[in-house]
Parts: sequence; structure tokens; C-alpha cells
Amino acid sequence: MTLNRDAWVAIALVLIAGGLMVASFDIREPDYGQLSPAAWPRVILGAVLLLGAIYLVQSLREGPRAAAQAAPEGLMAFISHWRNVLWVFALFLIYLLALPFVGMLIGAMVFVFLLLTVLGGIGRTPIHLAIALVSVGGMWALFTYGLGVLLPSGSLTGI
Amino acid sequence: MVWDNLALALAEIATLETLLFMIIGTSAGLLAGSIPGFTIAMAVVLTLPFTFAMPPAQGLATMISVLVGGLSGGLMAGILTGIPGTPSSVATTFDGFPLARKGEPGFALGLGVWSSFCGGMISAVLLVLFAPQLAQIGLEFQPWDFFMLVIFALTVTASLAGENLVKGLIAGAIGLLARTVGEDDAVGVGRFDFGSDYLLSGFDFIAVLIGLFAFSQLLSDVRDPVKARQSLSHQGDVRIRIEHGRAIKELLKRWVVVIRSALIGMFTGILPGAGGSIANILAYDQAKKASKEPDTFGTGNPEGIIAPETSNNAVEGGSLTPLMALGIPGDVTAAVLLGALLIHDIVPGPTFIAEQPVLAYSIFVAFFAANFIMLGLQSGMLRIFVLVTRIRMYMLAAVILAFATIGVFSLNNSTDDLWTLFWFGLLGFFMRQLGFPLAPMILGVVLGNVAELNLSRALAIDTDITLFVTRPWAMFFFIIAVFSAAFPYFQAQREKGVAWTRFYAPAMLASIALPLVLMGGSVRPVLAGLALLTAGWLTWRALSARPA
Repeated sequence: MTLNRDAWVAIALVLIAGGLMVASFDIREPDYGQLSPAAWPRVILGAVLLLGAIYLVQSLREGPRAAAQAAPEGLMAFISHWRNVLWVFALFLIYLLALPFVGMLIGAMVFVFLLLTVLGGIGRTPIHLAIALVSVGGMWALFTYGLGVLLPSGSLTGI
Repeated sequence: MVWDNLALALAEIATLETLLFMIIGTSAGLLAGSIPGFTIAMAVVLTLPFTFAMPPAQGLATMISVLVGGLSGGLMAGILTGIPGTPSSVATTFDGFPLARKGEPGFALGLGVWSSFCGGMISAVLLVLFAPQLAQIGLEFQPWDFFMLVIFALTVTASLAGENLVKGLIAGAIGLLARTVGEDDAVGVGRFDFGSDYLLSGFDFIAVLIGLFAFSQLLSDVRDPVKARQSLSHQGDVRIRIEHGRAIKELLKRWVVVIRSALIGMFTGILPGAGGSIANILAYDQAKKASKEPDTFGTGNPEGIIAPETSNNAVEGGSLTPLMALGIPGDVTAAVLLGALLIHDIVPGPTFIAEQPVLAYSIFVAFFAANFIMLGLQSGMLRIFVLVTRIRMYMLAAVILAFATIGVFSLNNSTDDLWTLFWFGLLGFFMRQLGFPLAPMILGVVLGNVAELNLSRALAIDTDITLFVTRPWAMFFFIIAVFSAAFPYFQAQREKGVAWTRFYAPAMLASIALPLVLMGGSVRPVLAGLALLTAGWLTWRALSARPA
């Protein structure tokens, strides 16, 4: 039996909600307070389980249809289709991981420059560099000096 | 008393600094609203970090001006390029673009600008009149009623926000669930922390909102490599004079359309989840139905611009009404404003206007002032709009993402919030791709604590759970929640001509008569009687229309 995309999502949803329901029994029950801290999450999870089951039935009744909805077939087609999104995810993740070492000023500048380059192509490097320096530099100065926010500095760069 | 509060609020808003921030905010809103793919909610949520350091009235005034600017900005793109800047100006393009192409862009823009202004002003007046009255009613609410009000808000948002009610409800429940992670507010017990300090401290809900809205929207905007590299518009230099005088005369001539559309916008705004995107289509549709020349709609009929632009600006007065009176936001942007209030430790509710009159009136004053500023700036922003639309989407996306990280970090000076931004950006993106509406989830995140707090309070007073459906107000909200949940099914069946759908409206009216009677007093039983009479009349009509 071929399941459509919604059916897979519904199954994942039910499994996650089920897992969290089990985890809710690890929530400590204090001797005070009228409503147990686990009660409200359980009410919500109960609703998610019920709705997830309805969603699953709905999806199964619709059949496989054009389940993938013109989704690309094969790994390369998938990567090509989601190329930009994957780049944004990857660069943002690297930016967050590098933040403690390079700081927000340099990290954000590099992030913006690399993102502009991968999304817009290397033909516009000078423009991309200028955008990264001016936009991040301007925002950094505004928050640091204008709003008095201490943005994180890097352990390697010191700024 | 009202005048004293108004004078104090004016003193708060009419400072050089606040007015300057409002001008900047309105300009930013006008530009954000005019860029297709850049939503008003995204603009308002990204403004939030700038307002932390401001006094509450100034911060809210800035955000309201972004909102008012955003609501009006969509018309520039819609009329000049035929591409609506925001979903709330979709209907404006139906007649605005043809009128501009007929060689009258100045007139079309004039109609749009002045309709937006009228819609904003009418809804501002109604907001000032109705919010305090609604707050008086809100004082009757007990925890059971508030809990059911949240459930109603989530249900109606889920039923209106997407094509699939179940997906909408799931999104709302995920929003509620996200808010339960971390220490429980009542007793401080950790929930779903799995031994992680990051999870134990919970998700900052502003970081969640920015992730869900801004991050996920930007990912969607750059998904297509070709579109991401294109300029938003290829509009050449614009030298258009907005025809103010002619537009005002036209609006005065068609005042019925203005009033009707403003009321549609106001009502749609009050309804949780139904924002400008629904109001502008509804108002356009009504204007077309009421017109003596419906065939001219779509070819540049002035009413086709007046109706949607009046209604989409009137929406915000509507959505601010339940926020200020009950603490329940009418739409996503109002939810962000609620977040701004909470940052300043101000919890809106029925006592908000009475306890914080200067701040409440400052919001009213800011709403009026922002409409005047919008009117003044609209002409000047035209050329900047053209410049902005030449920027490529990927450039905007990269810069906004960097800005979002700086803004989110400044929430609590914590890099944990950046991870929240990332995870919820991912979640929002996948939910969009899988067809889950984000509006119910946002409302779930914002109202999760309100629901739990009131559930806890209600059970502390009385453990009888039947009170959630037997107390008059709770019963009222329960009934309309059930009917709103059934609404998508009703609509689908009505299109097929199924007989029972004729009895949907009478059944709802008859059902709400019971809680109205139980509320007592003198007015509500009369309203209940009227509801029953209307239900009877509609039933009689439905029965007499049935085929033999």
C-alpha cells in the first residue's frame, strides 16, 4: 500500500505526540497546586492524538493521489529543488555554531556575504560584500550604541 | 475622566521623539507592505526588538505605525504593478491595476490612499467607542469563560485560516504545546525539558513568532532560485501625482461603499483569525453585488478600489478591540502587539483600559495619528517604493535574516533564543510546505499560558468540569466554537446544495439564545428573543424554499 505524504506526516505526528504523552508521566507531581503540571500538556496531547488520527484517516481515504504533488524524484532532483533552502539552513546552522568563536559582528557579516553569494551567484561579489559590511555593520552599531545591547563577541576575535 | 486620559495620552504620543519613530515606522510599514512576499506581520514582528528600550506607549505607537503603514503599502504595488504587496490588497489589484493602465494611476492611487485613511479613521473611532464597552462585558468573565474564549479563538482561527480544519486545529494545538515546554508558570515544575537547561528555560515566544513568521517566510521566498534572483518589479521611474482632490470627491460621492466596507473590515477584524485578506475580498464582493454596474468591476471601477482598501485598513481597529478589551488578539499582528505589551509586564484584559488608561488611550491616539502620518507619507514613498522593488528578493532575505538574529538575541541577551529562532523557522517552513496554516499556531503560542492559567484557576475554585459548558458565557463561547468548527464542512456541503445547510444559521441563532437568556439582565433576554425570532423566520424560509 502506498501512503501519501499527508499520511506519513499524520503517522509521525501521532508517534511524536504518543512519545510526549509517555514523557509527560516523568513530569514531577508536586504536593501543592490544584492542577497537576502534567494535566494541561496531556489535554493538548490527547487532542493532538485525536486530531492526528482523524488526519491519518482523512489522508488514507484520499489514497495515494499525486501524493508527492510534483515533488522531485531522486536525491539529486530533491537537492536541486530545495537547493536554496538547504543552503540557508546549512549556513544559518554554521553561523550559530561559530557564533561563540567569531562573535555576532563578524559572524553575521560572513553569514550574509556567503548567503548572498550562494543565492545570487559569484558574479556580484563586490555588491554582496558591500551589502554584508554595510547592513550588518549598521545594525550592529545601531543595537550596540543606539539601543545599548551588548551583542556577543567571539572568543577568537574579541569583537 | 476620558478627556483627562486623552490629554495625558496625547502628551505621551505628541513628543518629537515618538512622532519621529512613528514616521520611521509608517515609512517602514509602507515599504514592507508594498513588497510582495514581505508580510505585515513579519514587519511588525521585526520591529519588536527595536521597541524594547522604549517606554511602552512609544514602543506600541511605533509598532502601530508600522502596522498602519503596512496595511496601506500593499495598494502601491497592487495598483502600479498588478502584484498585491500583501494578501490584504489582493482585491485592490482587480480594479486598481486596470485603472492605472487606462492612464489614471494618480487617480487610482488617490482612491486607494484616501480609502485606506477613511477605513483607518472609521475603525479608530469604533475602537475608541467599543473597546471600553466590550471591556465592561469582559469584567463579567470568570476563568471558565476565559478558557472557553481561548478555545473559541483557536477554533475559529483554525476554521478560517486554511482549507483543512483538522490541519488548522493541529497547528493550534502544536502552538499550545510549544508553550508548555519549560518551567510551569504556576508551580515551577519542569516539563518536557529532557535534562536540557535550554528546554527547561522554555521558548521565548517572541523568538518563536519571529522564527515562525519571518524565518519561514523568507525560506519560502528564496526557495525558487530563479524568482529569488529576480527584481521584485521592473517598474521604471515613477512620476505620478496622486490626485487627492478628485479622489476625495469620488469618496464623498460613494460614501455608502466607504461605510459598508469599513464595517465589514471592523467586523472581520474582531473575529479571531479573519484578517485583511478575507475582509478585502468580502468588501469587494459586497460592493460588486450592491453596484448598479457590476459588469464594470474588473475594468477600473473606482468602487473596486474603495471597498477593499477601506475594509483592509478598518480590520486593525477591529482586531485591536478584543485585544484591548479582553486580552485576546483578533489577528496575528494584534498577537505581536500583545507580545509587546507582555514584554513591558502589561497583561491586557478586561481591566486593562481601567487600570492603564493612559497607555490604552495612547494606543487609540497612536492609531489615529498613524493614519494621518500614512496619508502624508504615501505620496513621498512612491519613488522609494520603486527603488525598493528593484532589489532582488535574495538580498532582502539575507539581510533580514541577519537582522532577525541580532533582534532576537537582544530579547534576553541569550544565544538560546537564536536556536529557538532556527528550530521554529524550520518548523514553520515545513508546516507551510505541508499545508498547515500558521495563524492558529501563533495564536496557540500567544494564548497557551492564558488558557492554562484560567484552567488552573477554574479548577481551584470548583472541580466541576461541567461549568466549562454550563456557565452562560462559557456556554456561549462553546456553542460558537462548535458552529465555527463545523463551518468549513457547512460551506462545502452548501456548495453541493445539501438541504440541511439551510438550517445551519437558524440552529446557531437558536442555540445562542439559551446562554443569552441565562445571562439575565434586561437587554440580553431581548437579544435572545430576537435571535429566536430570526431563527424561526430563517427556518420558515428554508422550509418554504424546499422542493416539494
